[in-house]
Amino acid sequence: MIPDTSRWPAWTKEPLIHFLILGAVLYALFAWRGEPVDPASRSIEVTREDQAQLSLGFERIMGRAPTDAELDRQVDKYIREEVLYREALRLGLDGNDAVVRRRMAKKMDMLAAAQAETAQPTDEALKEWFEAHPERFGDKSRYTLDHVFKSEIDGAKAALRALNDGSSRDDFRKLGDPISLPQSLSEMPRKEVLDRFGERFLAEIDALEPGDEWQGPIASGFGWHAVRLTARDAGEVPAYETVRQRVENDWRNATIEERKERGFEILRDAYTVEIAE
Amino acid sequence: MRNVLAKGAKWALIGAAASAMAACSDVSEEQAGNGENTVELAEFPDRPYWGDTHLHTDNSVDAFGFGVRLGPEDALKYARGEEVTATTGAQSKLARPLDFLVIADHSDGLGATRRLYDAPRLGVQAMGDETMLRWYDMMHESPEQSQRAVGEIISRAAVGQLPDAMTDRAANEEATRTIWEAHLDTLDRYNEPGVFTAFGGFEYTLMPQGNNLHRVVMFRDGAEKTKQVLPYPGLSTSTEGLWDYMAAYEESTGGEALAIPHNSNLSNGLMFELTKPDGGPMTAEYARKRARYEPVVEATQIKGDSETHPFLSPNDEMAGFGVKGWDFGNLPLNLPTTDAMQAGNYIRSALKRGLTLEEQIGVNPYAFGMIGSTDSHTALATGDEDNFWGKHTGNEQAIEDRAIVAQNLGTRTGRFGWHYLAGGYAAAWARGNTRAEIFDAFKRREVYATTGPRMTVRLFAGFDFSEEDWDGDWVRRGYTNGVPMGGELIDKDTAPTFLISALKDPDGANLDRVQVVKGWVDAFGNVREKVYDVVWSDMETRALSGGKVPAVGDTVNRLDATYTNDIGAAELRAVWTDPDYLIADKRAFYYVRVLEIPTPRWTLFDAVRFGITLSDEAMADAVAQERAYSSPVWLKPAPAEGE
Repeated sequence: MIPDTSRWPAWTKEPLIHFLILGAVLYALFAWRGEPVDPASRSIEVTREDQAQLSLGFERIMGRAPTDAELDRQVDKYIREEVLYREALRLGLDGNDAVVRRRMAKKMDMLAAAQAETAQPTDEALKEWFEAHPERFGDKSRYTLDHVFKSEIDGAKAALRALNDGSSRDDFRKLGDPISLPQSLSEMPRKEVLDRFGERFLAEIDALEPGDEWQGPIASGFGWHAVRLTARDAGEVPAYETVRQRVENDWRNATIEERKERGFEILRDAYTVEIAE
Repeated sequence: MRNVLAKGAKWALIGAAASAMAACSDVSEEQAGNGENTVELAEFPDRPYWGDTHLHTDNSVDAFGFGVRLGPEDALKYARGEEVTATTGAQSKLARPLDFLVIADHSDGLGATRRLYDAPRLGVQAMGDETMLRWYDMMHESPEQSQRAVGEIISRAAVGQLPDAMTDRAANEEATRTIWEAHLDTLDRYNEPGVFTAFGGFEYTLMPQGNNLHRVVMFRDGAEKTKQVLPYPGLSTSTEGLWDYMAAYEESTGGEALAIPHNSNLSNGLMFELTKPDGGPMTAEYARKRARYEPVVEATQIKGDSETHPFLSPNDEMAGFGVKGWDFGNLPLNLPTTDAMQAGNYIRSALKRGLTLEEQIGVNPYAFGMIGSTDSHTALATGDEDNFWGKHTGNEQAIEDRAIVAQNLGTRTGRFGWHYLAGGYAAAWARGNTRAEIFDAFKRREVYATTGPRMTVRLFAGFDFSEEDWDGDWVRRGYTNGVPMGGELIDKDTAPTFLISALKDPDGANLDRVQVVKGWVDAFGNVREKVYDVVWSDMETRALSGGKVPAVGDTVNRLDATYTNDIGAAELRAVWTDPDYLIADKRAFYYVRVLEIPTPRWTLFDAVRFGITLSDEAMADAVAQERAYSSPVWLKPAPAEGE
């Protein structure tokens, strides 16, 4: 009988789920060197392939093939470990080991993330991402302003009055106390304003309305500033082409996180969890 | 049959992953190269660019063993200002992004602990080395055991007794190449001229008998060139071998590389010797090589400060910052440090030795500039006291008593959490933020060190600066009528004059004072040093007393780890002329040291945040004056006639 897949829940069509299931199956297969381990079974078969694998492992590390005696030792070690491993599984030791649990949980996360880590997104997909999250790439606000620095607030207030009543509108450069800061900023990027003037100044500037009047005084880590904020460009979002790599980095990181979370949620939904009060 | 199929599928998966990773290296030409001709440059270096040249990620043998699970990509995101989840779980972010970053994972066993950890146990067993197998098991047992394993690895490396499988270059080469190339591709992806610079580099970990001769190697170029080499191993090689490697890189690729020595304080006198490493006399050829490839040293970082030591500079009452806990033994504390070794351990005495050697052999091997960095092994480039994430993941913020517990590599005596500094930063005076511009600033030594705060420090040296210069475009005057920090001034039989400006960190503490440190060779060939207080806050009320500037005061509240900027100054400027200049003196260097007012160290923030009681010793050290060191300017005699 062919099942009617159209009536299956939507999540069964989710490629991620296919991948996770495939991954889980593969993982179970490879969990112990490709051998599907049945803890109940007490028969161990060391196939020619297994021996070739052991030999290869030796060669990769030592740079030469093992001698017969060395291979025998590898096989002995393999059998010993296999016996103990199965007995450990029978005793349920894997479940009580925090390190094993954490590693296996981490590997599930890695399975979910692996596809996103290696996928090559198309330009369309990235453009879509770019347009959906312009704020992540458009932190290019620019500030055009003049300022007069005073170390004391009273001096800054006096300077502000003088600037706004017109008596010294033209020579604001001569009014301030000496400080090694540029007096006029022309379309300075936000990060540079932060680096040079500090967090407090930037927050104060962001609260001002641009215009031709002198405003303030506002505080910075240096002292006080009368400010003429002529322009604050929200900054056009840059052209996609100029930030393509950043978009791809961002897309990749976000997709990895999202896949881990979605993968987990789908698995998690199949569980009933009771937390005792 | 099933088994064979499954194996095939597994290899196919890995193959697909590998080829897709390779495809990721498809970045724009601007990002991939050295950044020349990509951004508009200022006429003169117009602002300092901030960076960390010494950061470890999970590709470092020790960092991984200490528990870090963040890789280069996390490190780059973090340095650029994005929020990252630290290995121990908490969210972390820099208050202010950095402008550049050198990820300097150890070249020895690049990725080896991660590979050891990820390997099937059987594979490790097959190598037949019981020690490695024991380390493997310890790494998987618990974080504490993992740290102990790494302590053992470092101790064994220090005495040259690592298992062959970890040091065999041929055996490791393939694995190293895979990690190195993937790493270089990641750097190109995050390198963005004008915004953020990601340098290729690695740490060269030479450590004879545990004496620290480590260097960070930094490349000017993108992956296309840096992929042509592999990181040069430190164990069982020599510094001359490293310089030859760098020379060969420059020769074959047309690129450039420089090396930055660090933790000279833990070298037991070997970092700045008066002789060659083999004990033979210093030669001009050796000195020339060293000066060429090592234009900058790291003066301050988590494992202490190497500017000077009170033993060497008894008249400098501000000496001794970040010295405690680091000055009695080498890195793994297997050999004690004697007084006689200290002169080879600290930078100021090395600068003096450089003058002496130049008198003798005509070349100064120790004519270097200074930077600070973190040496953080958490993939988090934090240099701020209130955002300290520890030397390694074993003392991230999750370990609440990290300030008071013993913190040793290998042994359990002597060093405690509070001895560690929060780490410093490097400031580069460049015309733009590109690989080429910042690298070139390092090369011409126009860089300076800070212990974390971002103060802006300018230094110009010349012969005709005056107070009036401040009224005009003094930066242009500085560049056109003198030389900036890192430069050389030819003696004109008259005292040199300096334009010095120090502007506080806009989000940090006020400044206490600006000093000039002078070292010189006098007419009789004696080498001398002197520290001058050049300008300080409230000069009218803080009059000299007994020839000394009175202490600035202390506003730190020990109960809540706060301070106020009621004392100190926002900016200190001076035009200073050397008052002790004598025509008969032979040669000199001058560098600037800027001191902040006292502020809480990370230990005090920890004590308040986590309710920890610091020991009396730790409490006495919980407040400090953070500082900046400029690169020196050298005053040199005019070349004799006919030279």
